[in-house]
Amino acid sequence: MLDFLKILAGNVFKGPSTDGFPFTQAHTPRRFRGKVHLNPALCVGCTICRHVCAGGAIHIAERPDGSGYDYTLWHNTCALCGLCQHYCPTGALSTSGDWHNAHPQSEKYQWCERHFVPFLSCDGCGAPLRPLPPALTGRIYADNHVDAARLMRLCPRCRQIETAMHAREASHEAQSGS
Amino acid sequence: MLRKLAARSPWLYRINTGSCNGCDVELLTTACIPRYDVERLGCRYCGSPRHADIVLITGPLTVRLKDKVLRVWEEIPEPKVTVAVGICPVSGGVFRGGYSIAGPVDKYLPIDINVPGCPPRPQAIIEGVIKARDAWLARMGG
Repeated sequence: MLDFLKILAGNVFKGPSTDGFPFTQAHTPRRFRGKVHLNPALCVGCTICRHVCAGGAIHIAERPDGSGYDYTLWHNTCALCGLCQHYCPTGALSTSGDWHNAHPQSEKYQWCERHFVPFLSCDGCGAPLRPLPPALTGRIYADNHVDAARLMRLCPRCRQIETAMHAREASHEAQSGS
Repeated sequence: MLRKLAARSPWLYRINTGSCNGCDVELLTTACIPRYDVERLGCRYCGSPRHADIVLITGPLTVRLKDKVLRVWEEIPEPKVTVAVGICPVSGGVFRGGYSIAGPVDKYLPIDINVPGCPPRPQAIIEGVIKARDAWLARMGG
């Protein structure tokens, strides 16, 4: 019955439970979903993030000169749902623990993540080519003994020719061997 | 002297322009839960727009509420600082482009501080209130 006395005595020595922010650092949970960041080295421009984005925060536009694409993510309409992070096949998008989002109106349209992802040019014919990160290439060619790094620097057409040449050489070798 | 004293304690006023209530709950949390307690900074919520110094706007500004919101906002005496809390008043958020949405709010009202988030966490709102207070002090000339 007198349990409340214990609680009362405990509270006398416990001190306030108020978070010290803004005078001290605020605690951010480990899995807190803050501002979304893009790692342009891993982005392949598949646009699945734009497709699943609830707030329509992501804009991906290819440059007219074919040199690459611009990736824009506007934090001011991002609902921090984390769908882009979940669906990104290469792990290029991640939610950070950064929640310091308050900004003056003058910065409203600068409050975004902007990246330019350049296209590679094909080693065979020079056509523009989307870069593929090694991790994804390894997954695609996991069971094939091919030089994946070389194949990924070729456009689909040159890749076909290269593969056909390899197949022909292999069959020639097999014939001459027998 | 009164002005000097009053400058430490801006009063907050909330306008819900058709919000889903998420940001309103966070605003409530910011003030009423001892863990965050915006009243440490001298701020408190007031019930009448005529007493307010800082306006916190939530919601994407629906067509039905537009005129009422503008009328209430007009009643707040100058100098006032307007803070948009959540992505809805800032840009329309997930409701942008809907048939019943007149916003974003800055089409009709001059916004000073944006605090995006869906909803922003209480500390982010406190940060926004501090920025708004600085803007308010600058506007008061001290």
